[in-house]
Amino acid sequence: MSGFILGLLAILIFIWYLTFSANRLDRLHHRVETSWANLDSILQRRAALAGEIAHLKEVDPATNLLLTSAAHQAREAEISERSEAESGLSEALKLLRLESDIPEIYPEVFGELDSITDRLRTAIAIHQESVTATQKRREKLLIRAFRLAGRAPLPVTYPFEDDVL
Amino acid sequence: MVSPYAWDVPGGVQAHVKDLAHHFLNEGHEVSVLAPALDEIAINEDFVVSAGRPVAIPYNGAVARVLFGPVAATRVRQWIARNEFDVMHLHEPAIPSLSLLACSIAEGPMVGTFHVAAPRQKVAFAIAPLLEPVIEKLRARIAVSEIARETLTIHLDTDAVVIPNGIDTSFFASAKVNPEWKREFTIGFLGRFSEPRKGLSVLMEAVPNLTRAIPNLRILIAGPGEGLEVMQSLNPNLRHRIVFLGRLSEEEKASFLKSVDLYVAPNTGGESFGIILAEAMAAGTAIVASDLPAFENVLGEGRYGLTFTNGDAIDLAKQIIKIAKEPKALAALREEAARGAMRFDWNAVGPEIMNVYLHAKGEAEKVTVGSEPRTWLRFLNREDKGDLS
Repeated sequence: MSGFILGLLAILIFIWYLTFSANRLDRLHHRVETSWANLDSILQRRAALAGEIAHLKEVDPATNLLLTSAAHQAREAEISERSEAESGLSEALKLLRLESDIPEIYPEVFGELDSITDRLRTAIAIHQESVTATQKRREKLLIRAFRLAGRAPLPVTYPFEDDVL
Repeated sequence: MVSPYAWDVPGGVQAHVKDLAHHFLNEGHEVSVLAPALDEIAINEDFVVSAGRPVAIPYNGAVARVLFGPVAATRVRQWIARNEFDVMHLHEPAIPSLSLLACSIAEGPMVGTFHVAAPRQKVAFAIAPLLEPVIEKLRARIAVSEIARETLTIHLDTDAVVIPNGIDTSFFASAKVNPEWKREFTIGFLGRFSEPRKGLSVLMEAVPNLTRAIPNLRILIAGPGEGLEVMQSLNPNLRHRIVFLGRLSEEEKASFLKSVDLYVAPNTGGESFGIILAEAMAAGTAIVASDLPAFENVLGEGRYGLTFTNGDAIDLAKQIIKIAKEPKALAALREEAARGAMRFDWNAVGPEIMNVYLHAKGEAEKVTVGSEPRTWLRFLNREDKGDLS
């Protein structure tokens, strides 16, 4: 009889642990969603700003084209290519920043760009952290065996090159 | 915000919480702080809510007053339910105290700040698996220094954004010089000097060498503690050079830092940030500190203050004498220090922290008391998850 009770208890604890794990995973997924939403909105704002910069009258046509297309690509990119497209935009902006005197003419626009870049760096770090934590959790045997992740797709990291920023 | 340590006991974390709260209040945000308190009536800030009396335990070479237990848990629940916070900021959530408790109870946008820098500790490794499910609820982590971040990476296997502690630089820069503290060549020391890790004994060891080179030397020691023991360890002929000031108020501390010719921080370890150094820099004080990584960082690798080999009294004396003999270099050092302090001003640090809050906060989300497991709810409601990218 006592063996039966012990067995029941063990099963109960096991079920509790499963819910507990599922809960944790759910929370992590939510974290990734939030951090991605943030990162995405900042990237969108940067692309919009890049478009604005491209249409300043001092910008020569070639740079205009380069910036506009980079911003466009960054906006349209699929999630898996997003990082690459955004890096392209980073480089285009950096080029403009270093090789011309336009930043001096429009301190406001470029000041905003700098603050966006700062926030972008933090956003990337936070997103990276939440994604790695989630991926690590999902590798656990128990979680895979009981398919606790359900249909939620595995989050992908965002390998934005830091040195480009 | 939640503070893990008693509000009415002075300490780095509490001071940080208090200043941050004031900064955000001045900017027009709403702030409420939950903290343990020895004496609830003694709290005179109306944004502070007491969570009960803490217990004192020795930790990391200092005495930490922490709070845990069912009563505190109830207070946390009430506090969260009553306030509907947009973001909850937990300080030192890895310490078994109020912040950890709040973190395990709450659900929603949470940010954690890690202040402590500890070497590899077996205890910490042992409890890490227990902490993990709680700590991972934090949407974003802040470490106050590179060293605090390293501690976090080693012990809890997570990363953090580094944002230094903030100070009100103008408060220190505009402090009045107390002529009583400026008569001779004065060296200042501030801290709970009865704790060995504050390193007063290193400074005391250097005193004989110092007095030989600097005849008009005076050492001012401020901070709570009994000076008798320190005095007894010293040669009777040298005792008149040392003055104990006892505990100083914030204003007195600022004018103390402004008045002394040289501030010495001989701390031997356990220091994560060294806010006092940033404050001394803001007051435009020349600094000689032990070469702890945290201190090196604050002092800009020697640009804003000098360092000596940790624990080496002879090197300490050498550094002090060198700078004391050159008034020009001393003045230059003071100027550099004041400039270096600007990056710790709240006006630089506050927006950075607010930025992290915004990152942590999803759309129209509030901090709530975690109730029934969400999985069960979802199972019952058949709620579908959105696409996760």
